[in-house]
Amino acid sequence: MSEPASKSTALVPVKRLALPAAMLALVGFAAVLQPSFLSPSNLQDILTQAAPLGIVVLGQAFVVLVRGLDLSVASLMATVAVIATAFNATDDAMIPVIFAVAIGFSALVGLTNGLLVTKRNVSPFLATLAIMIVLQGLRFYYTQGAPAGSLPSGFRFLGTGRIAGIPVNMIAFAVLFVVLGWLLHKSAFGRKVYITGGNPVSADLVGIRSDRVTILCYVICSVMAGIAGLFLVGFVGTVDNWVGRGYELDSIVAVVIGGVALSGGTGTLWGAASGALILILLFNIVIILGLPVQAQLIIKGIIIIFAAALFARARAQ
Amino acid sequence: MAAGRRFRVDPSLVIVTVLLVAVLIAGFTLSERFGTLRNLMNVLEQAAALGFVSLGQSLVVLVGGIDLSVGAVVTASTVLMAAVVEMNPAWMVPMIPGVLAFGAFIGFINGFLVLRTGVHPLIVTLGTGSVLNGLVLLYTLQPTGGVPYWFEEFAYGRIGPVPVAGLVMLVCFGFVWFFLKYTAMGRSFYAVGGGEESARLSGIDSNRVILIAYTACGFFVALAGAYFVSRTGVGDPRVGEPFTLASITPVIVGGILLGGGKGNVLGALLGVFLISLINNLLNYMDVSTFIQWIVQGLIILVAVSVYVNRERKL
Repeated sequence: MSEPASKSTALVPVKRLALPAAMLALVGFAAVLQPSFLSPSNLQDILTQAAPLGIVVLGQAFVVLVRGLDLSVASLMATVAVIATAFNATDDAMIPVIFAVAIGFSALVGLTNGLLVTKRNVSPFLATLAIMIVLQGLRFYYTQGAPAGSLPSGFRFLGTGRIAGIPVNMIAFAVLFVVLGWLLHKSAFGRKVYITGGNPVSADLVGIRSDRVTILCYVICSVMAGIAGLFLVGFVGTVDNWVGRGYELDSIVAVVIGGVALSGGTGTLWGAASGALILILLFNIVIILGLPVQAQLIIKGIIIIFAAALFARARAQ
Repeated sequence: MAAGRRFRVDPSLVIVTVLLVAVLIAGFTLSERFGTLRNLMNVLEQAAALGFVSLGQSLVVLVGGIDLSVGAVVTASTVLMAAVVEMNPAWMVPMIPGVLAFGAFIGFINGFLVLRTGVHPLIVTLGTGSVLNGLVLLYTLQPTGGVPYWFEEFAYGRIGPVPVAGLVMLVCFGFVWFFLKYTAMGRSFYAVGGGEESARLSGIDSNRVILIAYTACGFFVALAGAYFVSRTGVGDPRVGEPFTLASITPVIVGGILLGGGKGNVLGALLGVFLISLINNLLNYMDVSTFIQWIVQGLIILVAVSVYVNRERKL
């Protein structure tokens, strides 16, 4: 069932071993520096922080696999957060309604991105950049710069709560990971994603409607960003106009660290998710080392170039 | 397109000129103050920063790259310049070429990493920009440093009615335009952007061209940094951030294709004027920044859709 990856068989062992090894090394390094790193409460904190980024990364991976890029995810997260508070709901029974509206709106945004990229042939970078700016304008215009409104208290549970010690948002991530992992690696649609990403023209020649596949990937990405926005606003607790700021680039960094090539067609969802966890672990280690938060930027910059170069070299061989 | 071939003028230049004229006419009709010489000269003065970064970005985009570190380079240039000069005001004059050399050096590193690692320029420049931002923020979180009073002449000075900064920007654009059109090295930018492999086969040292493009980009971006120091008198660790993405809009609106090989820096210059005039007009009409964002997003979409379809018909 793994034909899609067969193109890069040489890479598979490298990738399979490299990411878990990197994660283990980071965890080991952190544990040596600070034994309390392995305490359940710290691990829970890390997972709680990792989940929203992880959810965005799952979606971003689909778009990158079809040679795309979605810069609008963070703007969409904040917009969805503003939409959620616009209900001014206090009853937890409204949560499913809010989710439904947020997912519907996100799907529309993804559809727009996808249509621009496929039907108008706009480069993904510019299409999603424009949508990012438009969403930002709409959001600020609606809130006039100062978001008001409230969320049902249940959101707090979704963002920070735990079931049997496991963060709720991590459970949500795990469910989405399994569903999307099945979709990408076991379903017919997943194979079409790899073929489209490998070469859209030949995908069309073998009867795959690559436009449709690409649009669906953008829809998946936006829906994931929307869901992540709701969990993140639950985690942060208050709405502001910049919920999720920086996630557009962090999600791309994570996807690339995880071995998904920007040129499309290679990489796995497992890799992308590992990339997100590695990034969060690195951020955490910066804090443990007592370094200023700004050092995270430096480490992130070095790691992304280094990781991308490693994968580029592995692919070239 | 057969009929269009008779015109030597790049069609995207025509489109952006028409848009520019439309905005000017709208401005003259809708606002009394917009059309005054004084206001237009102010727009030219304020457009300088966007002009410098967009000029740099144009060169990188022409050779098929993209530079997402420009915001960080603007920021780092302002902080470096203001901090050094505050320590020793005698350094003011040497720091002007100094900061430009710094920008060029960062650009060179970008180009070197792109060529050496084979990593997508987007990722490389995202990485270098992140490192640079981190370093600046480690040094200071607040605006810092200071420069002698006379340096503000760069940003605020006038020769007759014409702002110095605007003039410097126009000269830079003119220089690059001449370079790209009339020198062999300049023309090879288009060959490299059109296809690195075929450029190499036709004997062009494409690595050298790419290095020059990134280096020159860093140089012009640092000039924007110097402009901000002149304008505000300090180095500001957050001033550059919006320019990373803003620098791309005029380039695209001016008809330089993302992916390289096609376009004209004069288009980018007109794009800079277009964006600056629209924002100026919307300000006079009391339209909120929020709507300005929406307008900017729509401009990108419209421009890109128009150009791409035109290209596809060829």
